[in-house]
Amino acid sequence: MSWLSTYLYEWKHLSHSRFKLVALLLYLGAAVYGLHNGASLYNDRVTEIERIQQKAQEDRNTYLAYYEAGEKGPEDRPWVDVTSPFWAVWYSNVYHFKRPSSAMVYSIGQAEQYGYYKRVSFWASPLDADMTQEIANPERLQTSSLDFAFVFLFLQPVLLLILLYNLKSAEVEEGIFPLIEVQTTNSQGWLLSRVGFYLSILVVLNLGLLFYGALLTGVLKTAAVAFWQLLLFGLFYLLLWTGLYYLVLRRGKTIMGNTLLMAGIWLLLVFVVPAGVQQRVSIQMPANLMADFIDAKRDERTAIFNQPDSVLQAQLFALFPEIVNSPVANDSTKINLARNQSSSSLANELTKASVVKIEQENQTRNSLLRASYWFNPVMYFQNRFNSIAHTHYDNYEQFRQEIQILIDRQIKIMVLDTWEDIEVNEEQFQEYAKTLSVL
Amino acid sequence: MWQIIKNEWRFLSRSRALLGVSLGLAGILFLSVFLGHQQTQSQVAAQQEAKAHLRAQWENIEGMNPHSAAHYGTYVFKPSSLLGSLDEGVNGVTGNVLRVEGHVQNEIVHSEASQMQAASAFGKLKGSLLLQYIVPLLLIFLAFHAVSSEQQSGRLKLLVLQGASSTAIIWGKTLTVWIYGLGLLLVTIGTYTLLYLQAFTTDMLNRSLLFFLTYALYYFVISGLTVFLSAYWQRATLALTTMLGVWILWTIFVPSILMSAVERWHELPSRNSFQTAMRADRAEGLDGHNPADERTKVLEEQTLAEYGVDSLSQLPINFDGLVMQADEEYGNQVWDKHFGNLRTVLERQKNSYQLAGIFNPFVSLQNASRGFAATDNLHHHHFLLQVEDYRRVFIKTLNDEHAFGGSTTGDWGWEADNTFFKSVADFEYEPVRLSSVLPTYAPDVALLLLWVGLVNLLLVLASKKLRVI
Repeated sequence: MSWLSTYLYEWKHLSHSRFKLVALLLYLGAAVYGLHNGASLYNDRVTEIERIQQKAQEDRNTYLAYYEAGEKGPEDRPWVDVTSPFWAVWYSNVYHFKRPSSAMVYSIGQAEQYGYYKRVSFWASPLDADMTQEIANPERLQTSSLDFAFVFLFLQPVLLLILLYNLKSAEVEEGIFPLIEVQTTNSQGWLLSRVGFYLSILVVLNLGLLFYGALLTGVLKTAAVAFWQLLLFGLFYLLLWTGLYYLVLRRGKTIMGNTLLMAGIWLLLVFVVPAGVQQRVSIQMPANLMADFIDAKRDERTAIFNQPDSVLQAQLFALFPEIVNSPVANDSTKINLARNQSSSSLANELTKASVVKIEQENQTRNSLLRASYWFNPVMYFQNRFNSIAHTHYDNYEQFRQEIQILIDRQIKIMVLDTWEDIEVNEEQFQEYAKTLSVL
Repeated sequence: MWQIIKNEWRFLSRSRALLGVSLGLAGILFLSVFLGHQQTQSQVAAQQEAKAHLRAQWENIEGMNPHSAAHYGTYVFKPSSLLGSLDEGVNGVTGNVLRVEGHVQNEIVHSEASQMQAASAFGKLKGSLLLQYIVPLLLIFLAFHAVSSEQQSGRLKLLVLQGASSTAIIWGKTLTVWIYGLGLLLVTIGTYTLLYLQAFTTDMLNRSLLFFLTYALYYFVISGLTVFLSAYWQRATLALTTMLGVWILWTIFVPSILMSAVERWHELPSRNSFQTAMRADRAEGLDGHNPADERTKVLEEQTLAEYGVDSLSQLPINFDGLVMQADEEYGNQVWDKHFGNLRTVLERQKNSYQLAGIFNPFVSLQNASRGFAATDNLHHHHFLLQVEDYRRVFIKTLNDEHAFGGSTTGDWGWEADNTFFKSVADFEYEPVRLSSVLPTYAPDVALLLLWVGLVNLLLVLASKKLRVI
């Protein structure tokens, strides 16, 4: 029997199996729903980012008006002087965004566990409270978002199980398998071609779904590489499950036995192993309560401010050797204010050091999780999908690093210009806003 | 009927495969509770250490201006629920650290989920994961051929000839599988009880019993429905595939789809618009016509009149403390309004989701499970409210010290001494009593009971229609 005739027979079989058709339709429905969920989150984020950017620009324009009017700042804040680098940088009102990839349509991943915009200031840090997740129902977050990746990674193996569960074993149970062996001469090839038929159906179906998702957010225009990567890894994933199930079907002789074994493999790889690995990591490394970070933000920061001026100045000179011979360093009337305004740079060094430790601890957790991939393939693929869709932990760590770079740059410009006694005008203010927001 | 149950058990105990699976599952259940206990212990130890560290810092303040102390603030760590060893609920995705300070109500941050890459879509290996997803599947596998295999082998006819009624057969089969499920449930609850014996309170006992009850009801629904389908379809394969379909729909599809849908029906605001609205209310007044400056002017006039003086400098107290407390109280009203709205939306979401229990008993089980384990969103909100109550007392204590502790208006250099800071109480979490939240979960239990009733009806129907020949 040729592959083509096996395919044709299998098509007939499938079209007569209501159970399998319903399962296919359910999968299709869930996948489309998942794609729309991803697209909806992507659109919400794009809209929100635009709104925040617009508001930030409006606020900046308010401060720009002070320069045009020759005023120092708002009337009710007499201490503000927008011509000083300190206040000009402060009012530059810079935001940094984690812009969503259009491939988010495929995998929401960890996007809902982190903030995606941050007002950058010289007092900020990448672990500030405003970096927390969007307002959402925690019970929904715990239940897991139904995105395309969820459907593909967790439900597709069930669909495959439903499509394959009775292959060969039905013929064995009905006693017609010896006849097939005679007719086909190669019963393994016959089984393989039948499994191949369902694999082809799923490949075509998933390809269609990927294209549909691409239409929703324009993936092919803006993240074509992500599309092909997903296709490739999706194919690997599908082959993994098909291979596992094929081995079961090849050795199994009863429908019940095969179904039980295939369901057992699914339960093990989807539920038990990932849950067990997470439990182990949580015991080994409980959630960080950020005591070091709190110390850096509070007691250690207070200690900086309580230091004698001479110590504070020495620390500033060590951090910025450029200011040692600056005009303000030799001006006794301005040095006190400059020193106080520059103290955020020392506080920043403290928080940076504590953040590095926290990020390292998180990476140790990730290493533990990655070490489990060889027996935890589902989570490998989940993280790969997240990574491709830019919704992985690492993408948000990158976002935090970018924020830190912008904070450092803001501090450096503010400190150097303050000690150089630069008077900020309208153009300089606009230049600040530009320089401080671009990486 | 008892004879049938006894026979069924004798039959089941002969299956080495089942014995192996049962022992394996019981072992994993034991391990899951034990590991859950270990995780809770390590988290509690970390919390206690962090709490003690921060308290020591607070008590070591030698002298500080009370308003500076309000900015210095304190931190509250979300305590681990002991019942979280059974069902972690939302604890993995909500934050763990909450900063308590003046002027602002912060949000809880630094969730465990945000501290690592994706690890498991269904949470940690807790008892609830196995009891909700795996055990029901095993019950399905035990029950799907309960009646059909008897029909096919001709044993059914034999049983009827021996005097067993069809009702007794159907019920006997159902109860056998159900009792098996209860056994696994008992292993879980028993292990949990043994591990926490010394810390067990009446509230925990009641919660554990209700936890047991909801799972027992759900297992009856699963066992009964599968036996019904086995009798109805008369073909084991069909009964199995139907029940597998039902299981997937109930446990994987519907909860995820519904939760997303419910969040769309009752939409939550974005963080940015929520905070912008709060800031506007605080600055412009709740009615939009009562700005902060005007409120301060009114307070000043009232205070001067109360003390019978003409200017703030003549006051024997520090007016700044009064202004800050008034601003706090106004801010509290703003918070109550906005977080009240947020809570209302979340309650609506929960109520809508609970209603889904009408066609999906798994939803009721999941709600009740994390509710009785004190790890659902309601308990999380109770914690947040307790922290906010504490914050109000904490800040008022500091503002009162600023106003009446001995300084005068404008004296920002004045400092309260160490005795005062030691006297400020630390946050102590008061666990939510079951009786106060029980009505919330009553619909879940009621819907599960309704399902038990429905399955009973189906079993009666099946026993009447059972074809012996």
